[in-house]
Amino acid sequence: MKKVKTLSGNTLKESMKKGGCGECQTSCQSACKTSCTVGNQSCENANR
Amino acid sequence: MIHQYRNNGYNIVMDVNSGAVHVVDDVVYDAVALLAAEMPETEKKIGKEAETAGRTPEPGEQVPESDAAGLTRIPAELRTRVEKQLAEKYGCSAQDIADAMSDIQELIDAEQLFTKDIYHDYVIDFKKRKTVVKALCLHIAHDCNLACRYCFAEEGEYHGRRALMSFEVGKKALDFLIANSGNRKHLEVDFFGGEPLMNWDVVKRLVEYGRSQEAEHDKQFRFTLTTNGVLLNDEIMEFCNREMSNVVLSLDGRKEVNDRMRPFRKGAGSYDIIVPKFQKFAESRGQMNYYVRGTFTRYNLDFASDVLHFADLGFKQMSVEPVVASPDEPYAIRKEDLPQILAEYDRLAVEYIKRKKEGRGFNFFHFMIDLNQGPCVAKRLSGCGSGTEYLAVTPWGDLYPCHQFVGQEQFLLGNVDEGITNTELRDEFKLVNVYAKDKCRDCFARFYCSGGCAANAWNYDGSITGAYEIGCEMQKKRIECAIMIKAALAEDEA
Repeated sequence: MKKVKTLSGNTLKESMKKGGCGECQTSCQSACKTSCTVGNQSCENANR
Repeated sequence: MIHQYRNNGYNIVMDVNSGAVHVVDDVVYDAVALLAAEMPETEKKIGKEAETAGRTPEPGEQVPESDAAGLTRIPAELRTRVEKQLAEKYGCSAQDIADAMSDIQELIDAEQLFTKDIYHDYVIDFKKRKTVVKALCLHIAHDCNLACRYCFAEEGEYHGRRALMSFEVGKKALDFLIANSGNRKHLEVDFFGGEPLMNWDVVKRLVEYGRSQEAEHDKQFRFTLTTNGVLLNDEIMEFCNREMSNVVLSLDGRKEVNDRMRPFRKGAGSYDIIVPKFQKFAESRGQMNYYVRGTFTRYNLDFASDVLHFADLGFKQMSVEPVVASPDEPYAIRKEDLPQILAEYDRLAVEYIKRKKEGRGFNFFHFMIDLNQGPCVAKRLSGCGSGTEYLAVTPWGDLYPCHQFVGQEQFLLGNVDEGITNTELRDEFKLVNVYAKDKCRDCFARFYCSGGCAANAWNYDGSITGAYEIGCEMQKKRIECAIMIKAALAEDEA
């Protein structure tokens, strides 16, 4: 593509296939304690 | 759903439902805006549907109705109209416009533009699952040696009495966690307060107890500690570096900012005592697996300076977050403060990029975003897990949906002896997700913030499925900044 640079593809839809294992960190435990932010968590699914 | 914005010279187009993010030129940017109002959102087969495509489903196999629409083309009439508008606006060549439209069609074909929200039914199924408890916030001490003016815990006492958690209560909490964690291997336990170092001996004994249970139950504890640092010493640091997967170090930023809101009980500031300890601690952890975490209030709406102050002190991992306060407090953030706050995030983002490029970068919690290997959609839809996967435990063993609800009796869920007895309340929390929140349904940020903080929603909107709109505006800006930063850094790599 000449006019577009894609930073991320259709990752959400892809993640439905193998997602939901629940091993990821609980959002509030990580740093914030006052404001839920999930988008910056890491996926811990080894099979993803 | 498309969300597009310009920030720091970058044109960003987000296709919210697929998670795709694009940096585009001006022509594509305007073309997408013109098309967005009229383009149908598309859906192709995924997951189970794709797996069963072209074969006969097994007897009894549940296969959703398939949509055989295939690739979506931009309708010819719409395309012509948009091309004409672009030519008039930019006076650019037919080839330029053809290239833009071709790129857009390519994104549509790749399911990265104008895609449909297909997760609604999925979240209903997801929520039917039996949830397990995977994280506890142990209120190891309802007491504090500071008297922070904004403390939601009322100087550590949480609308109740001063108390320290006994080892026995803590042990029961860990047993409860192990027993209710199902197949989940990693169990998270945060030592919280008040100030947990005021009950340090119990912290150490609980870590030891937790470790002793890991092999037998095939679990792995991840202990974390949130501290104001007053009592930090070498022995504690050494223990934490061995046993704590993360430590959260409370400090608000510049000395005058910190000392105004985080004094000792007799009024003296805490900055001078705490900063050298935190610097040593961060260094001893290799500048990893910690956060220096501040709170900003109406008194320091120029909080980017506090974040940069942390960086200037040598910290590499930091978070500075808006205060949670009753709207009638003088330091509470008001709606009219938003323009300044949003501009402050922009200012911070520009400096953040500059320092990264100069090789003296740092991580700001709210600008960290993983666009490619981030959380799965199930996680994004279900949010923080308060009241279900995540519980707070008081010093006497009562269970609450999270630390923010502790002391509010209507949110009492049960206790470490009997487990969760108020299952009705637990189920209410189970249903908190982006689709349960009217204000989230049409928000571009819904898969990044996951519906936000239930406690904030309760405090400001009177419902755990409500929204704290000032918080929403800040969250949206932080996401926009985080993505713009990715664009800027990606450009540098190219």
